[in-house]
Amino acid sequence: MNQLTLEQALKMIEAAERWARDITGSPCSIAVVDKAGAVIAVHRMDGAGMATTDIAIEKAWTSVVFKMPTLMGSRWLDPRNIGKLLGDHAMGMIGRGKGRLCFIPGGIPVTNEENKVIGAIGCSGVPSGVGDISDTSVSQAGVTALYDERK
Amino acid sequence: MNLELAKRLLKIGAAEAKNMGKPCSIALVDENGWLVALHRMDGATIPTAEIARDKAWTAAVFRRPSSEVSAYGDPRAPGFGLNAQNWNDRLTTIPGGFPIWDGDLMIGAIGACGATPEEDVFLCQEIIEKIFRDKIILEFKEVG
Repeated sequence: MNQLTLEQALKMIEAAERWARDITGSPCSIAVVDKAGAVIAVHRMDGAGMATTDIAIEKAWTSVVFKMPTLMGSRWLDPRNIGKLLGDHAMGMIGRGKGRLCFIPGGIPVTNEENKVIGAIGCSGVPSGVGDISDTSVSQAGVTALYDERK
Repeated sequence: MNLELAKRLLKIGAAEAKNMGKPCSIALVDENGWLVALHRMDGATIPTAEIARDKAWTAAVFRRPSSEVSAYGDPRAPGFGLNAQNWNDRLTTIPGGFPIWDGDLMIGAIGACGATPEEDVFLCQEIIEKIFRDKIILEFKEVG
């Protein structure tokens, strides 16, 4: 599999919506982008904030471009990591990517069987960064749904 | 506009686009132009997603089809200067964006992009016609 289809993207978003609704209790926006970072599908759950769609898209875009979850990216780019990881780059990353760069936790890339990044999912709307009740966990539900399909 | 209604309209749109043999992107926005749902069909090119969203936004905030927005401005030069202003990059006068009315109330807008502008218009009109014919809005109306 070299690229995500709309059908796959919708399966991912559906699973993410379920997690958002049933586990986190927060309505979210969830976006799926392809390996070029271009949007395939976006859903904004009723009650999710107006700004969440663009943030979800940006988290997904960032995950594809950096080939890592934005939660991980946010730790690498922590300015307190001066001298290690990407701490030296942290302040320089502000405003990059023509405004699409977003290292808030909640974006996760997806890979194919050869471990190539073929797209990413991003979620925005849960007021929490880590754990079962977080944007990251909502996105993870989407990732799991895609990978489960392959088995 | 709510997500379930948007999903239903996207499903109708995808079937219609498939009939036409033209993969499209379709966007649904709420009455203020904020995105509710967007699908880019397999084979639809990358810009179609952004343009569909632009058409929907334009139709929602101007409360008229995106193609008619150029009617604002000096009548001798319809829409003159409107595209040059910079208060929002989502303004477009490309045909294919339409507001969705529930009686007197505008509940949102739809934008489609992927075929010729005429075909995009046709696609939207087919969806809107189906909304009225099948009274789809009633199914998704919140009570109270």
